[in-house]
Amino acid sequence: MSKGAKTKIIKVDYLARVEGEGGMYLKIHDNKLEDVQLKIFEPPRFFEGFLRGRKYSEAPDITARICGICPVAYQMSAVHAMENAFGLRVDGPLRELRRLLYCGEWISSHTLHIYMLHAPDFLGYESAVHMAKDHQADVERGLQLKKIGGEIMSFIGGREIHPVNVRVGGFYKVPTKREMQGFRATIERARDAALETVNWVSTFDFPEFEQDYTFVSVQHPDEYPMNEGRIVSNRGLNITAANYDDHFEEIHVKRSNALHCVMKDGHQSYHVGPLARYALNFDRFPVHVQDVAKQAGLGKVERNPFRSIIVRSIEVLYACEEILRIIDDYQEPEQPFVEITPKAATGYAATEAPRGILYHRYKMDEKGDILDADIIPPTSQNQKMIEDDLWKFVPQYLNQPDETLRWHAEQAIRNYDPCISCATHFLKLDVERS
Amino acid sequence: MKAKTLVIGIGNRFRGDDALGCILADKIQTLALPDVEVITHSGEPASLIDLWQDRMSVILIDAVSSCAEAGTIHYIDMQKRGLPDSFRSYSTHAFGIAEAIEFARVLNKLPPKIVFYGIEGKSFAATEILSPEITAALEDVETRIMQDIKETIDA
Repeated sequence: MSKGAKTKIIKVDYLARVEGEGGMYLKIHDNKLEDVQLKIFEPPRFFEGFLRGRKYSEAPDITARICGICPVAYQMSAVHAMENAFGLRVDGPLRELRRLLYCGEWISSHTLHIYMLHAPDFLGYESAVHMAKDHQADVERGLQLKKIGGEIMSFIGGREIHPVNVRVGGFYKVPTKREMQGFRATIERARDAALETVNWVSTFDFPEFEQDYTFVSVQHPDEYPMNEGRIVSNRGLNITAANYDDHFEEIHVKRSNALHCVMKDGHQSYHVGPLARYALNFDRFPVHVQDVAKQAGLGKVERNPFRSIIVRSIEVLYACEEILRIIDDYQEPEQPFVEITPKAATGYAATEAPRGILYHRYKMDEKGDILDADIIPPTSQNQKMIEDDLWKFVPQYLNQPDETLRWHAEQAIRNYDPCISCATHFLKLDVERS
Repeated sequence: MKAKTLVIGIGNRFRGDDALGCILADKIQTLALPDVEVITHSGEPASLIDLWQDRMSVILIDAVSSCAEAGTIHYIDMQKRGLPDSFRSYSTHAFGIAEAIEFARVLNKLPPKIVFYGIEGKSFAATEILSPEITAALEDVETRIMQDIKETIDA
């Protein structure tokens, strides 16, 4: 042990799953909604603590452990933040492979939510297993599509959950052109299934509910956003990730271990995720994907959060199309990664996780050791937005029995695909009537 | 041609007793039994269901945490019933084996024989070391699984 080293004990009395556990509290007085609380216990803050002192190169693998559903998002935000710090740009086939990996995660994560978590809400089933009895072909399609998403993650990332092939500067190993072509037929099947998914979910009945959201997403000049671009909103915001902290603020509320995020200007909630990406980047879709969206009943902007299930299905279709494009254009890179020279610097990145913007900031010393880290996941950013939706949506159901009220409120929360919804029955509803 | 029997070890090799499904799969793999395929798996439902197709017998091995005594062997004939709720909430897989089994049951994709060996874990901390109680139970579990495999081969 080196001189001056100290024994460090990090004690965690309550280790929640990354998917988290949540609760909802509604207070109703004289048939008026008096209080709404979404309670979340989410542990990414701990990760920021134990990233300190670790090598810059460890950030992708450490942060991937934050989520079993969207580990690629954490890896992508980490590598881009590090490369931003060290002044490195990764382009060409390596950039395309990152996009391919992200597409796999979008397909897997979105399909899980569409079929297994959200569709039962609209069709009146307790769970996807119950739904499968009456919708066998649909559920089989969902399972197959999710599996293909996972296969893409394994193909590029080495394994589906917490991929191991991502490194700052690129990958440890890259596929051959022939290996890429070998995936084409599978992705063509996935594209067909994705189109059928759009057609299926667009037939659901949706509650009439819209909000004048402040949508925030990454925006790239030429492509639907995943890894790269500026952070923009429909209210005129247009910044780089390096300016994120100037415009967004984390605040602590007693009911949640995850910090609430608000816009600094007015402390208002904002909306990240598929609806925001879609509204701010519709014209980045290929024309035929735009046409499918229109045929599914979507406009260029969709403000009904319940219809986010259709937007997710459009993003799955787009991800399949994008994979086919990447496969066809692929040229094997000369090296699987670009060499890094660490230096004392701070790096920033925001990428589009399936659930919305995932912001990473790291400060490193001259050896590339992490001095400070800040990670803001999309579910944290949407927390206040979810509560705001409940404030507006729930009052129309106050005369309904508690079970009906609970059903609608849970569905409103699941519109956001919060990580805590990974457990089927994550909500404990306390209704206090007086 | 698929092997008649499929043994699937599930778990995380780096989370203490959660590794035992993988460890037992490794041990059975080394025996190179005829018409028996042995794999480890993340628990992803769709690929599990695919793997079960055209098999006579599937044996799933995983760690569980249901407040029983460490090392307790839970044997469940999945053709007759699903995983109890007490196992589900402690799985490391938010959407995994339990759902795969129930989906397969509803979709008529369960193999003729499918059994689950759940071994009660004690510690799921970040380590590659098993608890002594689990180490002590491994031989017994392996013996029982081997008996299961033999019955399938004989049938």
